[in-house]
Amino acid sequence: MTTTHQLQAVFWLSLAAFLAWDFKTSAPVDLRNEPPLIAAGSGQATSGGHCSMAK
Amino acid sequence: MKRLPLAAILAAFFIFLILEVSVRQSVLLLVGVGMGAALAGARFGFTTGWRQLIEQRNPQGVAGQVLLLALASLAALPLLGQFSELHAALGPPSVSLLVGAFVFGLTMQIADGCGSGTLYKAGLGVPLNMGILPLFALGSFWGSVHLDSWLALGQMAPISLTDQLGTSGTLGLTLALLAAVLVATRLWVGAGQTWFDKRWMVGAVALAVLATINLLLAGQPWGVVYGFGLWAAKGAVALGLFDPAGNGFWGQAGNAQRLTQTVLMDVTTITNIGILGGALWVSAKAHADSKPLTTQQWVIGLVAGFVMGYSSRLAFGCNIGAMLSGISTGSLHGWIWVPMAFAGTLIGVRVRRHYQF
Repeated sequence: MTTTHQLQAVFWLSLAAFLAWDFKTSAPVDLRNEPPLIAAGSGQATSGGHCSMAK
Repeated sequence: MKRLPLAAILAAFFIFLILEVSVRQSVLLLVGVGMGAALAGARFGFTTGWRQLIEQRNPQGVAGQVLLLALASLAALPLLGQFSELHAALGPPSVSLLVGAFVFGLTMQIADGCGSGTLYKAGLGVPLNMGILPLFALGSFWGSVHLDSWLALGQMAPISLTDQLGTSGTLGLTLALLAAVLVATRLWVGAGQTWFDKRWMVGAVALAVLATINLLLAGQPWGVVYGFGLWAAKGAVALGLFDPAGNGFWGQAGNAQRLTQTVLMDVTTITNIGILGGALWVSAKAHADSKPLTTQQWVIGLVAGFVMGYSSRLAFGCNIGAMLSGISTGSLHGWIWVPMAFAGTLIGVRVRRHYQF
């Protein structure tokens, strides 16, 4: 295994570990309050985070 | 990794998102995978395109980016006028934007990748970009923590060109400004250059389509940086290093709520993961070339990655969130971002050359 492959393994395992930890420790997902599949035309205002936001 | 096990992992993650998060997030993962495959497959690097224009008078990358901006604007502006649920990427013209975009343009040349570039190159397995990604996230978080102080230096309310000129007026102005960019590019590169390269054109069309799908599904334009900052913020809160309640950015209701939710509910997080996966998919057949770096180059590259993350928050986005999404949705801040980032890039390519990257 090359150094690059070892770095790749560390990178992906770290990402997977972070996502698993985050999912386990965060508030449970309210599946009954799922956002619409397509926001356009849904009538529901979207409220996701975006990098252009100042607040 | 070979494509079959990778496809199985992506399919498993897709199904997990359907069952445990939402159908929308699972579909957005696929959109992100497409973005990653398009970025990595076409080597659609915003950073590289600007560098080739400056150093080689090669207009192909900029022509591809102008095509992407034009197609994305042609789709996004009418959709924003049609559907009230959709949001534009509106950032405030401010001292923060001027400084942030300039520093971002400088450091992205040293780090050899903007927000999307860092993601797809990390997915391809380029060592420096894999190292930069967590530092980019940390810098992005740190920039968001300080954002209020930067905004206190001077700011205006975000300006939507659509509110001022209407959809058709904004579209006309956007296309005219993009044509002006091509004229300026023609004056710089001179006659006899090849403008169109299939790789850049295919990448531009694919990314424009995927950015439009992202807008329709998520209700907001494509972004990269917010997700990075959120990851680091959650880590800092969990370690007891940061109290979001007293912070001007993370104390806001929407951001505070997202800190309590899993990042898998965040739109930019999901497309970021998809981009990494899509690039990994491409790397199974086309390995990324990267020359070994010296210790000094590693240190400079990693520091540049951190500063790039910090400045991306001050600039209200990177080449994706500010330039592509800002311009294509009629935000004035996108048009301020471009010349400031390009000015920074003019210095960045020299710094890059000095350290022999």
